[in-house]
This record gives sequence, C-alpha cells and structure tokens, in this order.
Amino acid sequence: MVLAATRTEEEMQTEFLARIEAGEKIEADDWMPEEYRVALIKLISMHGISEIMGALPEKEWVPKAPSLRRKLGIMSKVQDEMGHGQLLLRVAEDLLKPYDRNRGDLMQDLFNGDLKFHNVFHMETKTWADAGLIGWLVDGAAIITQTNMLGASYGPYARALQRICAEEVFHAQHGESIILALAEGTAEQRAMIQESLNGWWESLLMFFGPASSNTTGSSKQDVTIKYRIRTKTNEQLRQDFFDKYIPRIQSLGLTIPDPTLRYNDEEKLWEYAQPDWSKFKKIIKNEGPRSQARLNLRRTSYEYNAWVRDALSAVID
Amino acid sequence: MGKEATFYQEFEVFSKRTPSASFQHQFSLLAPNKEMALVMAQENFMRREPVVDIWIVNRKDIRGLEGEEKLILGRLNNKDYRETKGYGYLKKKWRHYEQQMLDEKEILSWAGDKK
Repeated sequence: MVLAATRTEEEMQTEFLARIEAGEKIEADDWMPEEYRVALIKLISMHGISEIMGALPEKEWVPKAPSLRRKLGIMSKVQDEMGHGQLLLRVAEDLLKPYDRNRGDLMQDLFNGDLKFHNVFHMETKTWADAGLIGWLVDGAAIITQTNMLGASYGPYARALQRICAEEVFHAQHGESIILALAEGTAEQRAMIQESLNGWWESLLMFFGPASSNTTGSSKQDVTIKYRIRTKTNEQLRQDFFDKYIPRIQSLGLTIPDPTLRYNDEEKLWEYAQPDWSKFKKIIKNEGPRSQARLNLRRTSYEYNAWVRDALSAVID
Repeated sequence: MGKEATFYQEFEVFSKRTPSASFQHQFSLLAPNKEMALVMAQENFMRREPVVDIWIVNRKDIRGLEGEEKLILGRLNNKDYRETKGYGYLKKKWRHYEQQMLDEKEILSWAGDKK
C-alpha cells in the first residue's frame, strides 16, 4: 500500500511499539519488526512442539494407570496436550508464512534438533507418582508461565493461551487428585511421591530457564518483555512458583530436596540451590535421558504415516 | 508452491454453543480436506463445551482486511443522530408529559409474551 511505502522502517518500528504500549493486539497480517516475528516463532513453535512431546511421557501411563477412571483421566489429558500442540503450531505457522515454511518444516526442525522442546519432557517417568507429579507440578509451573502471557501483545497467541490455560486447570487438578490419593495412602505410596519429588525438583527449577543469559549464553526473556509478550522474568516466575507450591508440597509432609531452601523475609524471596545449568544445556540439546527415544517415537510415527499424507494431499488452486 | 499437492490446507472453524446462539469463530486448523477438517474441528476445539453446529471455511475463500486497509474502519465521532444517545433529551421531555421514555432496555424487554 502507498501509506506503508512512504514511511521508513524506523517510523514503522516506533508506531509498532506505540501500538503495543497502548495495549493494542498485533494480528498475523499486521506489519511487525523482524525481531518480534522471530522471537514469537521461537517461543511459540517451541511451546507447541513441547505440548506434543509432553504428551509422550504421559501416554506411557495410559496402559499402566491403576483404574479405568484414572486411564480415562490421563487419556483426556494426553488428548488435550495434542490439541494444545495443534493450536500453537497454527499460530507459529501463520508467523512463518513470509519465510514460506509450514508444519512439515517444523517437524523436520524437531527431528534435526533445530527446534527444541521443554527440558522436563526429556526426562524419564518411572512411577505412577511421576505421572501425578507431572500433572500437579509441571503443569503447575506451565500455568505460572502461561498465565503470565495471557495479555501477550500478539493476539493469536493470547487467544490460544486463553483456551489452553482453561484446560490446564483440569490438568493441575487431575495431577493433584493422583498425588493426594497417594499421599493419603500407604507408607510405600507416600515414599513413592517423595522419591518422585526428589527426582523432579531439579527439572522443575530448570523449567523457568536461567535467571540471566550469563548462565547459558542466551536468553529470550529480554526481548519477550520488551515487546510485552510477557511481563515477568524467569526468576520472578520461578519465585511465583515457589510462593504457590512450596507451602502445598510441605503441607503433604513432603520434603523438598534442598537443605538450603529458605524464605528470606526481608527480600521477600526464596533462597535455593541452583540446579546444574550445564546439565540443562545438555538436556535441551537433546542429550537428556529420554530425548532420543522420544524423538525416535515421533520420527517413526511421522514416517510410518507418510502414506496417509500422500494419499490425502490435494492440489489447491 | 502453486501446483504442488499439499496435505496442509488452512481452515477456519466456527461453532454454535446453543440453538439460539450466533456462530462464533473458534480457531484455525490444518487438514487435507473439508471432511477431515470437520473431524479435526471437533477433536481440537470441542472436547468439552456444548456445541450444536460447526462450520469450517477454507481460508482461501475468505476476503479479509490487510493492515493498512483497516484504516477505512475508523469512524468520525459526529453521528449521534444515528444513535439513541442523540435523542437522550426526550427523557426529560416525556417527563414533562408525565410519561416514561421507551428506551432500548424497555423495548427489548417486550420479547415474547411479555409486554
């Protein structure tokens, strides 16, 4: 359009930031700075593919869940996660249009390691308590980060998150229901949750990412805050998680596996032992305990179903 | 891309919650054809909420407004003759005749058997 041509890139950038400051929502077809588009693509494609990769450790528990109701419950959750993945991939795909890339390319990126998925989904689930703990605390952590972005400046992402967060409430309660049943069960069942918490605590700390880019060499948090995609830093979100969940964990008689953990009343902050961030770096490079096994599962089903995609593909005019 | 066959066509999904509700936009999805799009629409967006009808529309059939085009939607703020707020003074007038004004709230309350 003529109007666009008469303005410089700099003027458009300023106008764009002013729109965001005014609380306006940016839509897929709107002009946006490259930096904004790239940050959104990275964030949302990673979020979307993590929903799908996150369904894999949980689906392992469908046949092993201890009752029919538990099987149906966890099956619905797995189905929701796949649905969230679909929703988010659509948002990412619309952003990828100018680069002429689509879902097939995103799958290839996942397979060759260019598209990462969340650290927690590289880990092993060893017991039914792990399945419950994922619902309770991993989904709890996800709720903290996702609700922080409900007001995101990018309209399609904010709308997707609105749907997702509503369903996450069910996921969290589903996890709580499993954990509370075990917590009120036998000594062996209580020991099983404690062991699960011991195993997952470090992953839960890592979930929010390092406090600054100094730790791992890069961090998206500054640019996502600048463009009002989110409002809080990784560390603020981790502290929010502590505020909400530490009292609940302790109320069940569980011990958090960090003897240095304490609440600093003056600074109103939790002091805690840092996880091993070099381990985090390895995990997100697909060198975690279950990274390759889960990627292979995706790869195999993608290749195995290639004939379906071929058979149903059509030429569009 | 043009003539190449693709599995990934874009559909927009709309649905109605109740028989008397309007269709509402839900979200978009990828599907190879309309039939699959309908199945996916239910799977993706209607796992819990009540739903009585679904539309799926191929995105290539939608003409929307692009960035700058949206500027044509701006309105001048001088059209109160088109709206009830331009006639608010009638309330006072009717009071003079000891009558109540028939405003929007009152008129829309006459639905069905009510009067």
